[in-house]
Amino acid sequence: MTIATEHLQPAQIDAFADHELSPDEARAVQQHIASCHPCSLRLLSTIELKQATAEAGRRLDPPAAMLARLTAQLRQNTSAMPQPKRLLSFPRANFLWPALAAALLLVAVSFATWSAGRAHNALTAELLDQHLATLSAAATPQVLSTDRHTVKPWFEGKLPFSFNLPDTDALPPGTTLKGANLTYLGDHPAALLLFTVGKHQVSVFVTDRSSVSTPAASTRSGFALRSTTAGDLRLIAIGDVDPPQLDRLLASLASVQQTR
Amino acid sequence: MKKVSRSTVRSAPLSAQQLLMASPSTIAEPGSGASFEQLAIPLLPALLRHALWLTQNEAEAEDLAQEALSKALRAFDSFAPGTNFKAWIFRILRNTFLTTRTAISATRTIFLEDPEEIEAATDTSATPEATLLQLDNAAVVQQALVQLPPPLRDCLLLCDVEELKYKEIAGILDLPIGTVMSRISRARAALRAHLQPHFGGRQ
Repeated sequence: MTIATEHLQPAQIDAFADHELSPDEARAVQQHIASCHPCSLRLLSTIELKQATAEAGRRLDPPAAMLARLTAQLRQNTSAMPQPKRLLSFPRANFLWPALAAALLLVAVSFATWSAGRAHNALTAELLDQHLATLSAAATPQVLSTDRHTVKPWFEGKLPFSFNLPDTDALPPGTTLKGANLTYLGDHPAALLLFTVGKHQVSVFVTDRSSVSTPAASTRSGFALRSTTAGDLRLIAIGDVDPPQLDRLLASLASVQQTR
Repeated sequence: MKKVSRSTVRSAPLSAQQLLMASPSTIAEPGSGASFEQLAIPLLPALLRHALWLTQNEAEAEDLAQEALSKALRAFDSFAPGTNFKAWIFRILRNTFLTTRTAISATRTIFLEDPEEIEAATDTSATPEATLLQLDNAAVVQQALVQLPPPLRDCLLLCDVEELKYKEIAGILDLPIGTVMSRISRARAALRAHLQPHFGGRQ
């Protein structure tokens, strides 16, 4: 049996206990402790101390609430900062979010389009209905006058806006003011001016620009629809005449409004 | 003990090498699939525990862990897949800690390496039998750990509690590996000295 003349260095024993020695160094230590009682005891003591340190170190246990807060914060941060290159490693989270967002966007857009289209059609239908109602022989305008100085004052106090009417000569040739009604377009008050263009009847709705949306220029059931704006007013003309005639009538009306 | 100036304390959050690792080729490497969350969640108890040891204060530890995690998330591109994530994130925790008020005030009492004192502290003249510990009382050992100088304690905890390799500890603490080795040895010698009264019945 070899008598060990030189004991192992403490750092050597520590490194051996920590499995940090190279295979050759570890073999040398093993050979030494096999024949050296004091060194084998030191190694045993070191291993015990290492285990005791591990146990004591873990006694400082973070409170569960703190751990929960940290976990929640981490999850929030990682989802707030998506990492596209790691997308596939998140099949449940990252992958689904864009799809869900896209689906929601699609629903929102189609709903908006659908409801806008619906509102649009509803407005056109309402304009047409009101115009058709004025065509009935039994329908007498609320104010029956060709005189703009009669018609305009009649609306005073009935509408939340005011508008001007052109002189008879300023209207396009063959166009005559017949009278007017107070009406409502989509819950908003409006002036319904009745004109004849030749033998055809034309209705012009004058309302607040913000009250109704712009109806699309269209032809529906043989009636043409045109609209324009003048200042804060929206003017919509509907009748069974050529659209350019409606445009000329609207232009003459628009020209006398005060642009605010 | 001698003191060192503050300038020796490195607080750079990321080394140049780590920044170089952030090249796109590294990131695009196949098999680098694990997400930050997947890697970090299992380490949260260890991070908090080490933060508690560093700060010795619950509120500070939570703030420290929180800040370290958000830094790590932002710097995740610089993590080289296949290397030890625990060592990487502990390094960030360590560097974050060094910028805290607690750590800055502690730099005034950082101990210098002192080889002569190591030899004195690890004198093996005591009978080997006396070094056998009956360490069934973990609270006593914990108390002894609290009393260790922080530089020694940090090394020892990373080794024995966090089970990191000397090389990884050297990376976390920005120390040469030989210094890590000697600090662990000194830490154990100092623990033995603290625990002397609690040694087992053998004289």
